[in-house]
Amino acid sequence: MLKKKGWFTLLSLVLMVSVVLTGCGGKNNASSGGNSGSEATANAGSKDSKETKNLTFMFRGGTDEQKAYEGVVKKYEADHPNVKVKIVVTAADQYATKLKASITGNSVPDVFYFESGDLKAYVNSGVLLDLTSYVEKNPNIDLNNIWKYGVDLYRYDGSMAGQGNLYGMPKDVGPFALGYNKTMFEAAGIPLPDKDKPYTWDEFIKVAQQLTIDKDGDGKLDQFGAGFNVQWALPSFVWSNGADWLDATKTKVTIDDPKFIEALQFFADMQLKYGITPSTEQAQTLDTYQRWMKGEMAFFPVGPWDMSTYEKLPFDYDLIPYPAGSTGKSATWTGSLGIGASAKTKHPDEAVDLINYLTASKEGMEALVKAKVQIPNLMDMAKEWAADTTTKPANKEEFLQVVNEYGRVLPGHYTYNAEWYNLFYTDIQPVLDGKVTPEEYVKAEQPKMQKLLDKAVEQEAKSKK
Amino acid sequence: MNAKSNLYRKEKIYGFLFILPPLLGLLIFTLYPMIYSIYGSFTDWDGLGQMNFIGLGNFKDLWSDELFHKALFNTLFMMLGIPIGITLALLLALGLNRGVPGTTAFRVIYYVPVISSLAAVSIMWNWAYNGDYGLVNQFLDLFGISGPNWMANKYTVKPALIIMAVWKGLGYTMLLYLAALQSVSRSYYEAAELDGANGFKSFWHITWPMVRPVTFFIIVTNIIGGSQIFTEMNIMTPTGGPEYASASVVFYIWQKAFGNFQMGYASAMAVFLGVFIFVVTLIQFRMNEKQSFDVD
Repeated sequence: MLKKKGWFTLLSLVLMVSVVLTGCGGKNNASSGGNSGSEATANAGSKDSKETKNLTFMFRGGTDEQKAYEGVVKKYEADHPNVKVKIVVTAADQYATKLKASITGNSVPDVFYFESGDLKAYVNSGVLLDLTSYVEKNPNIDLNNIWKYGVDLYRYDGSMAGQGNLYGMPKDVGPFALGYNKTMFEAAGIPLPDKDKPYTWDEFIKVAQQLTIDKDGDGKLDQFGAGFNVQWALPSFVWSNGADWLDATKTKVTIDDPKFIEALQFFADMQLKYGITPSTEQAQTLDTYQRWMKGEMAFFPVGPWDMSTYEKLPFDYDLIPYPAGSTGKSATWTGSLGIGASAKTKHPDEAVDLINYLTASKEGMEALVKAKVQIPNLMDMAKEWAADTTTKPANKEEFLQVVNEYGRVLPGHYTYNAEWYNLFYTDIQPVLDGKVTPEEYVKAEQPKMQKLLDKAVEQEAKSKK
Repeated sequence: MNAKSNLYRKEKIYGFLFILPPLLGLLIFTLYPMIYSIYGSFTDWDGLGQMNFIGLGNFKDLWSDELFHKALFNTLFMMLGIPIGITLALLLALGLNRGVPGTTAFRVIYYVPVISSLAAVSIMWNWAYNGDYGLVNQFLDLFGISGPNWMANKYTVKPALIIMAVWKGLGYTMLLYLAALQSVSRSYYEAAELDGANGFKSFWHITWPMVRPVTFFIIVTNIIGGSQIFTEMNIMTPTGGPEYASASVVFYIWQKAFGNFQMGYASAMAVFLGVFIFVVTLIQFRMNEKQSFDVD
């Protein structure tokens, strides 16, 4: 019996075992021998033709963004016939897990996106390639023509983020400007906001109250002054009131500052006292976002990533500075995502070249801006882009002002991890519901956040060893 | 003689080769990571750099970690869905077992959620729970009840997740019960009827004990699954919910490990969870041994 089927059995067994063993073999190589699967493909590639160099590029994004970046990479390959780029792409919420798993598994992609907040950890553990010398010797990169704000996010001198060597390039900068529904203002006969002089908090409340209306008289509000998600909008109010989450040394949590309390009170009062926003229970991003898009909201934060969506809005909108607190100056959060290279990449020159193409080259930028997923990284191109007032929003200049003048990075960026900062939002709901006063809240929360921050500082010190 | 032992040896080799792939899989993808994470739980590993041995430090921190306690409480609280699910599934199975017309159609209907992707189901329920436009609140509106914004309220977020989990698991549990019910011999009921017992009495004294092994199986697997609940909250409340009210232990582990560079601490929680599941399951098996009896 066995003899008859012996051949077949043996053959299939050999096949099966060899498949399993090669699978494992690859795994073992990856964990012991430096680079990754990309190394194996790189070697295979170099056998075929001596010049071909293989890079892996891992990134994330929505479908529009994925398509735009895939297109730019294709273009890059066409311009650089000796380089083959393998794309690994995930949805945004799975990206961090995938990247960190690839680092733990010692198979870091050659070129990849990373959060500016993770910079210190990655540099201290030797994950990121120091780009400084490569960028300096590359005649195609003019750092002076790229937003200083964005470039500085990826500098780190070993103790403080924001200065020193360069470990990444900004994929883009995301100035979170304030938008307003122009059509609604005109319909209500209210003078349009000044695009150069921010409202004071009082003025802002007054205008917003005028625009908070029960249109059909059914006792339910169907038009609101504003809608702010606490996580993304509160920083604007805190900063413009001269307060912050951290002190200058980035080691002390300063939310018990009276200026901070005042700003938090104002934020909560927009709903509790003035009633200009949908009730806190409904103030989920999705809901206010939908209300804004339906034309039921006067003021709403606008990021450049929304421009393509907002083109089809049934009303006209434009950008203005955020209302200013006691400092008299606007402030807002400006996001960014970096593109870095693996410290262990086999082809650092090509990797940096690809980063440059995606972040600092005219060809690459033009394609990405055309897809309306970001503002230009190159300042001269951005100026030209903003000057065109025929496309919505007319005052695109505001985006540039945010980046140049009043945009800031979230406090978690400066610390080894952002756990302490996230805790602030985890517990904040009772304050917005008026069940806990801002004063009580910061008193109770400060020690808890400080404890987590101390831990992060301690962790950072350890990681440098 | 010689030929026979040769054949015997050959079979032994084949047998070994056949079990080799799953064995290798088990060693590489289960045992190795498990031992690695047990070791990691005694270190301050950040998931990137070197591991420094810190003894029981992580476990000591767990003792005073408020968020961990919250996550543990949430995880246990959401297990309230298990008895609810079992009761509903058994009732449904009893109903279908009576041979109502369209049994097959009902089975399919209840089984569809089971085979649907958990991620897709979570996204769908997230829409249904939306405070303004959600299906759930629009339905409640018909009766003049204005529903809460389910996922944004710390009191409703857990019940909302429980309802969804029960809905998702119902078909699977029901099918198991249906199979168990159909294997109960009619003769017991006939005998009971002769003795004057029917209705609830025959359910309590015959049906319930007879499906006991299935109930046991469901409880054990549900508790193990419930301890590891993650995907739902990861999709529906990506920040852990209002005041961390919907974060589970696995969710917290994931946050610590991949968000905050605390792989060692996360490993300690994973080890704790593993031991917890092991102990609970052990207790259940012990209890089952004591209470089981044979009906012959």
